Amino acid sequence: MASRPVLSVAVSQQTLVELSQWQWAITAGFHIIFPSLTVGISMFLVVCYAAFMRTGREVYLRLFRLWRRIFAIGFGLGVVSGIVLTFEFGLNWGGFAHDVGPILGVIIGMEVVTAFFLEAGFLGLLIYGDGRISQRVMLFSACMVSLGTLLSVTWILAANSWMQTPAGYSLVNGQFLPRDWAQVILNPSFGWRTIHMLVGVLVSAAWFVTGISAWYLVRSLHLDVARRGLSIGLGAAAILIPVQMYLGDSVAADYVIPYQPPKLEALEGNWTSTNTGWNLLLWPDQSAAKNDWVVTIPWLGSAIAKDWSGRTPTPGLLQTPPRLRPMMLTTFYGFRLMCYAAFAMFATAMAGVILRLRRRLHVTRWFHRWLLVLTPAGPLAIIGGWVLAETGRQPWLVYGRLLTADAVSPLDTWQVLTSLALLILVYAALLGTYIWYVARVVRQGPEDRPVPEPVRAPVAPRPRALGAPRRGAER
Amino acid sequence: MNVADVWMIFIVLAFGAYIVLDGYDLGIGVLTLLERDDRRRREMYELVARAWDGNESWLVLLAVALFGGLPLAYGIALPSLYVPLTLMLLSLIWRGFSIEIIAQYRGWQRGWGLAFGVGSLVAAFSQGAAFGGLVAGVAVHGSSFAGGPFSFLHHGYAVLTGCGAVVLYLLAASAWVYDKSDGELQRRAARTGRVLTLVLAVATAACWALLQPAGTTALDPGAAARLAVWVPGAVVLAGGLAHAHRSFGRHPDAGPVAGVLAVYGGGLILAIGLLYPSVVPPHVTVHAAASPAGSLTFLLIGVGLSMPAILAYNAYAYWAFRGKLPQTDGVAGTAPDGVGGEVAAV
Repeated sequence: MASRPVLSVAVSQQTLVELSQWQWAITAGFHIIFPSLTVGISMFLVVCYAAFMRTGREVYLRLFRLWRRIFAIGFGLGVVSGIVLTFEFGLNWGGFAHDVGPILGVIIGMEVVTAFFLEAGFLGLLIYGDGRISQRVMLFSACMVSLGTLLSVTWILAANSWMQTPAGYSLVNGQFLPRDWAQVILNPSFGWRTIHMLVGVLVSAAWFVTGISAWYLVRSLHLDVARRGLSIGLGAAAILIPVQMYLGDSVAADYVIPYQPPKLEALEGNWTSTNTGWNLLLWPDQSAAKNDWVVTIPWLGSAIAKDWSGRTPTPGLLQTPPRLRPMMLTTFYGFRLMCYAAFAMFATAMAGVILRLRRRLHVTRWFHRWLLVLTPAGPLAIIGGWVLAETGRQPWLVYGRLLTADAVSPLDTWQVLTSLALLILVYAALLGTYIWYVARVVRQGPEDRPVPEPVRAPVAPRPRALGAPRRGAER
Repeated sequence: MNVADVWMIFIVLAFGAYIVLDGYDLGIGVLTLLERDDRRRREMYELVARAWDGNESWLVLLAVALFGGLPLAYGIALPSLYVPLTLMLLSLIWRGFSIEIIAQYRGWQRGWGLAFGVGSLVAAFSQGAAFGGLVAGVAVHGSSFAGGPFSFLHHGYAVLTGCGAVVLYLLAASAWVYDKSDGELQRRAARTGRVLTLVLAVATAACWALLQPAGTTALDPGAAARLAVWVPGAVVLAGGLAHAHRSFGRHPDAGPVAGVLAVYGGGLILAIGLLYPSVVPPHVTVHAAASPAGSLTFLLIGVGLSMPAILAYNAYAYWAFRGKLPQTDGVAGTAPDGVGGEVAAV
């Protein structure tokens, strides 16, 4: 090991860092799809079951059962893909684990004991409890799973926000040690970013429910379930999306601009600081520090900076020294993906409100088709936002303190290459199967006549004579 | 005894909880590969389907307990075990996904069942291999791992411990199935379980005897002083094996489970007696790896406040599914095609 030529060590170190980054990006990007749906769907389940218990109307139980089936596997995938991330902190980023463990390991530990166990403990009851637990316990289980997912989002955002805006620590021999836990957790970017993510996952799930319900309306199937789902989903989205756009603006104003100027320069897609317009599309050349081509709306950039005269330019990435520049391509398009998905959802939700006021919401076919197209808009926006947040933070892991390249585990390049290839293979298969499964559940539709099961005694009399003939065992 | 030692006790408990709880899940997964009858296989799937998620939580707890409490150990041990742990993660993903699909969807039960069984087998093996690779020693330079991708193998010792873990989990699964089922499934579990106790006795002896040739130095210093821990550990382990062997096929049905718990307990005592105070042997000790008291205290308060609740609702979930498996036509699922109508077993 030690006798390797110096040059090849340097080259493979760079490759190793990049491969490890790719592995993190792909596993984290895959993981976030599932929380972005299941956090909100778990709340939707609570709403449906509570409505069923209150009104006794069958349609709510059918909605609950339908969405519980979609929820169950998505939640399972979120759990197993989240475990991968926890291990990757040590597997691929051993230096990171050592340096930030006393702070981030503790925060993620709190997430596990408060949130993860809560979800997992009540999930079995929520999914398999029919007939074994009473309606009240079922509702309680749904509430606890939902509460667990919310706590989980909060802790994870505390951890990630600390990496964006570290606070409350002292640096001793390269290790971050906690000095003030309140400052660590309530770090400068924690508040806005957490609320932004929470509202984001709710919008995303509401939009997903809306899209699937629209499919039934397009096909004229299960109309009562579809109309109820569409009304709840689109109603929640119409209220939350404007709130979310305001929150997103606050994230930019209160944390990106003051704390991470290079991220702002990269996400707006400018190299020079002269552009008063807003870039729609572009292709950057990172090494030459210029854009190969760019499509710009004049005046808009200045207007977003609240100068209506159109004379305020947006700062460009040339202000940052080359080795501290984030990659413009990913940062810019991560942001644009989030924005464009948000604009599309906002316009659609407002159109939905107008249709509702004109009492045309449940009969306008073209609108239902359009909703169906937009079904994955929520998770796409969330992935875009995270690509922006994470690649825009580069080359830092802990902003301004720990470089990504210094935190990587001393592995062989081919080790990471192999694990990356295997993960891509497995994840592609899982995602494909999950989409196939959701499509199948949706096509099957809700049960026609759900019977609220009476609570049965689940216990067989014990002890039972060993070997006593069992019904159905002998053929 | 300082706060790091207290945290180490918690880590050992979390480790124990994981291998006890997910051990039987993984073992049942391997058992399904050996079971030919569809109905009996489905009963085993149900045992796993309703609990794997909660049981796997203890693995995550173990990981973050190391990450937050002993970050130096986490940053060294995981890269050194990259190959087995990556295999474990991939197979745990397969295991979790395929069992959820089996529970929710009636088609392709054969294919998904195979994926579930093989996933469980590979996960169990790689856990044992990782444990063996760790116990036999990790090369360290400064604060990072200094070996190669396959140095965890220790001339094949890790393969032996991998097989040992599979046998241990199979025994745990047989005991659990024996407790939770009746009829033919229970009889078969008793037969398999009795054989497995003997195989596990041999495997444990082999793992212990070959530890020194595998390269560990932990055995050498002060080995005599450690006898005070090893002897009780070995006695508890052997007693558990004997009790499990005797109770398969008799009342009460929980007898083998009690025996298996003693096996786990004895094994843990042996491991502690072997390793302490090192956590990544031979060089990294608990105290060198520990986070500062400020982190550990915060963790202990968080764990102390939430653990009673965690234990309570996990216990409630087990209580809600207490008793024998209901006689069912399929895995109790919510799917219309998963046949929801279980018959209360009377």
